[in-house]
Amino acid sequence: MTALLALARRLGSLDWPLGATLALLLAWEVLVRALGVRSILLPPPSEILEVIVLRYDFLLANLWPSLYMTVFGFLLSVVGGVFIAILITYSAIVRKVLYPIIVISQVVPKISIAPLLIVWFGTGAISGLLLAFLIGFFPMTINAAAGFQAVDEDILKMARACMGSRWQIFRSIRLPHAMPYLFSGMKISITLAIIGVVVSEFVASQEGIGYLIKLAGGLLDTPLMMAAITVLSITGLLLYAIIAWVEGLVIYWQSPSFVEVAQGA
Amino acid sequence: MSGHPRLASGAAAAGAASGRRAARLSIKSVRRLYGELEAIRDVSFDVAEGEFLSVLGPSGCGKSTLLMMVAGLLNPSEGEIIINGDPVRGPRREIGVVFQSPLLLPWRNVLDNVLLPIEMLRLPRREYQERARALLDMAKIHDFAGRLPKELSGGMRQRVAICRALVHDPSILLMDEPFSALDALTRDEMGLELLRIWHHHRKTVIFVTHSIREAAFLSDRVLVMGRRPATVTRELAIELPRPRLIDMMEGDAFNHHVRILRKAIEASHET
Repeated sequence: MTALLALARRLGSLDWPLGATLALLLAWEVLVRALGVRSILLPPPSEILEVIVLRYDFLLANLWPSLYMTVFGFLLSVVGGVFIAILITYSAIVRKVLYPIIVISQVVPKISIAPLLIVWFGTGAISGLLLAFLIGFFPMTINAAAGFQAVDEDILKMARACMGSRWQIFRSIRLPHAMPYLFSGMKISITLAIIGVVVSEFVASQEGIGYLIKLAGGLLDTPLMMAAITVLSITGLLLYAIIAWVEGLVIYWQSPSFVEVAQGA
Repeated sequence: MSGHPRLASGAAAAGAASGRRAARLSIKSVRRLYGELEAIRDVSFDVAEGEFLSVLGPSGCGKSTLLMMVAGLLNPSEGEIIINGDPVRGPRREIGVVFQSPLLLPWRNVLDNVLLPIEMLRLPRREYQERARALLDMAKIHDFAGRLPKELSGGMRQRVAICRALVHDPSILLMDEPFSALDALTRDEMGLELLRIWHHHRKTVIFVTHSIREAAFLSDRVLVMGRRPATVTRELAIELPRPRLIDMMEGDAFNHHVRILRKAIEASHET
């Protein structure tokens, strides 16, 4: 019950942005019609909505594969990122070897290897999944490692004075402490996972929302393209919102932090 | 009297003065080096069972380092620390530590914070939960058992830290300037609270502070430490009756002790 109330409160504070967005949509609608802009260039929101409603089955059929790959790629990057972060925290060797590589790779745009993945794994969904995983993995690792390591030295001293073992200290202190960092990393990773999947589909694929956007582009069907973009955006927003909601439930002892240690595609 | 590094005889005399209680803790010729730098030189003293001992000195004189060695979190470069007949090799169950800041875990409520040592020692929670509640009750924060640390004031959080240090029934309580971070009024109040709690559960206490008045008011005995390198320069038995009352701070006896301690500190600055 409290979770629903928290959600309602969060949404309640959205009335200003919501109002602004509706105003923007209205202005768009009016201007496009008044200036007689052709649909192929910039369709009005009403037309986009019409396409969404009329062709929802086609849109959804392409949304599902992208969604699956996004979520799976994201989950893999979270699990992988946390695992490597634990290794980095507890092993000096791993830290010295892997950490610099991970940080440097942040600068390399990982979407540039999308074509390479397609050469290796074909135009199927696996390429998208891998790209999603790769893009989301590095920020997740950095954030998780930061969270595990940034515990106050004095708190660790206190725990050792209480005779805590390394595992106990990890489970009772480092892990809860890292929660804000983990969720921050997850928010970044889910956003990047979507990008990874869509870019992979842009390069070469037979299905997916990215594929649909490209298809619509090729057919000069701009309303369909924008409908696909709209559906994709809403999906991304929902995925992010789910994570933010879970964060609100899990991290009850402080307000959601905007700890952004690393991001990058 | 000042400048004598070895106070074994002095400690024995004080031990005799405080009764025929056995030495709970012995520090023997402890020395601590950081590379070439001698941080602590040749400190030796005994602490009797149930004694309240203060270690008084200016900031950075190594008294915290000494306490960390007693707690088993640091090793002496030379010398030994013996507790209940066993040399200290690491943290021990017989010790409870209170640090300068409460160091409570923000995601745990007060009761769960107090029970942390019980978890770490893998003791049955059920048995100690009652004890934890009793401690909170005695510290007058029983109503806050279910609250999160962020809902408590600094003084209350430090009380929780004291309860946590006592929950596993240690025989020795180590306190590293526990009230320094509190405002002056809360500080005096907490001193009285500590004595009240101490009277309930007679532990051996080693209390590190840089406040002369605090040391004189709370303790049975005060060791003055100088710095660079840190060593015990003076020892003073506090001849004030217990229970200590705040009015004693205005009396001649108390201020006499304060003057002696202040002179000792000034003297150790000159060396």
